[in-house]
Amino acid sequence: MSKLGQVVESVETYNQFVLDQVKRARSDEKFGRDLLGRWNDIKAKIPTTRAPTGLPLPRLALPEIDEPGEIARFLLGEGLPGEFPFLNGAYREMYLEPVREVESFEKDGETKKSKTDKKIPQAEEPTRLFSGLMLAEDTNERFHYLTRHQRTHRLSTAFDGPTLYGIDSDADGVFGKIGEGGVAIDTVEDMVRLYDGFDLGSANFSASMTISGPAPIIMAMYIAAAKRRFGPSVVPKLRGTIQADIFKEVQAQNETIFPIEPSLRFLTDMVEFTTREMPRWYPISISGYHIGEAGSTPVQQAAYTLSNGFAYAEMFAARGIPVDQFGPRLSFFLDCGLDVEYIALARVSRRIWAIGMRDVFGAGPKAQLYKLHTQTSGRSLIAAEFKNNLTRTAAELILAYMNATNSCHSNSADEPFTTPSEEWIRLAAHGQAILLEESGIFKHTMNMLSGSPGMKAVERAVEAAILEEFREIERLGGVLAAVEDRYQRSQIQNASHRYEQQINDGVRPIIGLNRYRNGSDDMPEVKLARTPRKKQQLQVERLAKFKKKNADKSKRALDKLAAAVESGKNCFPELLEAVEVCSLGQITGRLQEVVGRFRPMV
Amino acid sequence: MASPIRILTAVPICDGHDSAINTINLEFIRHGIEVVYLGYHRSVGDIVRAAIQEDVRAIGISSYNGGHIEFFAEVVALLREKGAADIKVFGGGGGTITHEDAAMMRRKGVDEIFFAGTSLDEMVKFVHQRYGKPRAKRARAKSSDIELAHKLTEIEDKKKIRNSKFGIRNSCKTRVIGFTGPGGAGKTTLIDELVLRFLNKDRQSRVAILSHDPSVIGEGALLGDRATMINSQNDRVFMRSMATRGQAGGLSPATHDCLALLARSGFDYVIIETVGTGQEAMPFQKNGIVDQTVLVMNPDYGSRLQLQKIVMLDLADIVVVNKSDLQRARTAHTEIEQRLEQNRRAQCLIDTVAKRHRDSGVDKLFGLISTSDKSKRGKERKSHEQARTGR
Ligand code: B12
Repeated sequence: MSKLGQVVESVETYNQFVLDQVKRARSDEKFGRDLLGRWNDIKAKIPTTRAPTGLPLPRLALPEIDEPGEIARFLLGEGLPGEFPFLNGAYREMYLEPVREVESFEKDGETKKSKTDKKIPQAEEPTRLFSGLMLAEDTNERFHYLTRHQRTHRLSTAFDGPTLYGIDSDADGVFGKIGEGGVAIDTVEDMVRLYDGFDLGSANFSASMTISGPAPIIMAMYIAAAKRRFGPSVVPKLRGTIQADIFKEVQAQNETIFPIEPSLRFLTDMVEFTTREMPRWYPISISGYHIGEAGSTPVQQAAYTLSNGFAYAEMFAARGIPVDQFGPRLSFFLDCGLDVEYIALARVSRRIWAIGMRDVFGAGPKAQLYKLHTQTSGRSLIAAEFKNNLTRTAAELILAYMNATNSCHSNSADEPFTTPSEEWIRLAAHGQAILLEESGIFKHTMNMLSGSPGMKAVERAVEAAILEEFREIERLGGVLAAVEDRYQRSQIQNASHRYEQQINDGVRPIIGLNRYRNGSDDMPEVKLARTPRKKQQLQVERLAKFKKKNADKSKRALDKLAAAVESGKNCFPELLEAVEVCSLGQITGRLQEVVGRFRPMV
Repeated sequence: MASPIRILTAVPICDGHDSAINTINLEFIRHGIEVVYLGYHRSVGDIVRAAIQEDVRAIGISSYNGGHIEFFAEVVALLREKGAADIKVFGGGGGTITHEDAAMMRRKGVDEIFFAGTSLDEMVKFVHQRYGKPRAKRARAKSSDIELAHKLTEIEDKKKIRNSKFGIRNSCKTRVIGFTGPGGAGKTTLIDELVLRFLNKDRQSRVAILSHDPSVIGEGALLGDRATMINSQNDRVFMRSMATRGQAGGLSPATHDCLALLARSGFDYVIIETVGTGQEAMPFQKNGIVDQTVLVMNPDYGSRLQLQKIVMLDLADIVVVNKSDLQRARTAHTEIEQRLEQNRRAQCLIDTVAKRHRDSGVDKLFGLISTSDKSKRGKERKSHEQARTGR
């Protein structure tokens, strides 16, 4: 049985364990009494808060139960936020506002300057907006614009097509694609420009990079750029995330550049390096977003993301990296659309991950956490009467935060047309602020919307369906075998086709498109972000200069890299050297000579 | 009954948004259209070459990552430059292609752009109306590849073949190799890996590939082999995809004549690939054009008993156990070896892992089929004949 089969068993065993404990709580008097005592303790320690209207509320809401069996069911089956199995949240307080403001309000009913310095830190500042456009300096400007009003600087980087496919801006046929949909990065010099003005070693800075096929090369460029600006001592301080998820590329996003096995090997080389040298870095973001956007059902999305995650865990462990070292450095990324499953998709995922990591991989508490970034669904946003997209995104945001996501990206209403323009990005960011800061839904009380009978019904149905998917993958020989068999791909494509047919047939209502259509074909006036030819030309010229300058050195570095790859040892150190003098495309090209090119799956 | 419309679809270079085109492909084939799908991340050159070789009526491009005005225009321009202006271009890209963009693209020669929100029915209707009428009389071909492509169409659509301006070079150097085997054994990957080796062997030899995908009479077909063939996107490779159009046995009614034409069109190697076949299939028996037959097997064929029923095991010159990295591969090798011994003739059994770069098994297979040693080939043929007459 593969690890995935064991995960299925571990979840079933755990569910049985919960049921047994419920029974025991009812029959074993001492056990029941202890539970009741613990429950009363928990309740007594919950701080009170007040809404701006003066309404008193607990900072943590618990179900109104006082019977030991039910208490056992809640504490063991769901767990308090921040406690195993983490159904209600990875952390205790998530986005609650600091208690300080609350206290000052409480004192005499009006907001005064806080007298006390005691504060519960706001653990999460969840807004993180994906951006990337034109050349490095243009994206840099956008980054500065976005972070103007933010306490912490959390940059999320989108790359353009050539970069995502690991080729250079001067490659055949890519002119016109440079800087479209993301930023063009060819060399370490571009990387220096990209984050100019930000303090990469600061505890208040983190960079996220959405790239997978060539991720190890881009990671090396980032490290090299940081060293150029701040010296080698910055390396252990670097914070951020790189996507680097190969499985989902093969399943959904189509940006794999090396065959699967060497792709996974380069990934593991990188993970081995970063977990050792950069303890604050997240070297992989296990992503369901692309699976969902490619048209999967929500259950498929959750199931493939989790099973991919377990497959990575198995791989990293096999390399000899201790689970408590890599486990806390794994993070997840899910889509959030409007289908009903999204009420609880991430909650259920968090629980399955925790159980599997603890009981199959022997992970400690920190390595059990399913730390989640969510993005609202881009595919749910449509061109017809596009301003409705604001409402769709708002509804999705509520769902995402009901799942206690650790961070979130909200899509702009102009999503169907272009890389978002500033006007609509602003609205998207403000949407989150309105929800988290202005509205009282998520800032006063944890568990505000958790645990309704409907939500529980969805949780049970979703969990059962995810485990069934696991069983099917297990039958096919595990994740890698299923991927090579095109299993996940074909499942996703079938679901996607059904989705489009449902829209076509009107079974799936889309307001403004197949329902309540206003008749006029309204392609709106949106400002398109397009990269002028002159800028594209500039990028090509810069690259030519770089290549000319490093012509001799690059050849030696590539030879050394190729030798390291052939030898089978961890080649990340050689990659770090190569990026100093080689472009992305030069490195990709050389690696492909050694390990081959990815053969597309369709 | 009129021949099905043939369309080529693709997603541009540096673009992996294939959700839309996957759905559109399926809708097209459901409505009787044959779709040659080239896949995502495809360059202008690859698209135009494929469209010419496949002699499709039109190219449908689905573009999301920007640069569409240039990309579509370049496809149109290259088609014209190559003398294939009768192949039309249409496409879509959701909301990323604005109305102004579309107007500009039409001016540059694109037939139609479908905006976000267009119903699937509308697109199908468009293709039927715009590309469903019989072709007008065709102008003289500007290159030998175009002429060959036109002729293959004429054969496939059962039209008469006109005389060639280029003249058919009847050369004995052409080697015709047939590949067959069950679905999922990895025939396409194996062929593409062999093509890489053919291309690296020298600088001028040319390869033709005739590949087959299943279809039912009156319905379309998805011809998707090209999409996974990374090495065959090359001017030295002429590839043609055919739908079986209702014929059982792994080939199409027009295969024989198409293959005969390819075999005397001056290629060094002609490779023919059947659809995934069943146990009784013996696709290359009647045509007498194939020099050498290769049966590609998957180690997971089931029990030893199943092997007895596979007719091609008696007939193939070479049997390949692909995916020999799978657990069952050793057992498979032994079982097949014993099965071949019953035949008492010179058959080769080779293990390959075609998905692996520079696989030594594929090298070995390449050695066997590319050998130019006449005497050796003669001997092989002879033993082949003997085996046939001996039965
Ligand atoms: C789904 C999606 C993805 C999925 C793709 C999954 C997949 N395998 O296809 C994922 C999440 C992987 C993805 C990734 C990226 N995406 Co994206 N994605 C989308 C999204 C949300 C929907 C596109 C879609 O498939 N719609 C469903 C189809 C069926 O409907 P439609 O688009 O309306 O098309 C209709 C017609 O136009 C027509 N049609 C379309 N094509 C064709 C072709 C023919 C021949 C015909 C007849 C008709 C036709 O048929 C459809 C039915 O009516 C769009 C935004 C949006 N809401 O439209 C962004 C969008 C296209 N993506 C974008 C970007 C930038 C990216 C990334 C580059 C981001 C990055 N930097 O990492 C990557 C690149 C991925 C890659 N490999 O190339 C941008 C493009 C921006 C631009 N051009 O300026 C968009 C517009 C989002 C945005 N605003 O930023 N994406």
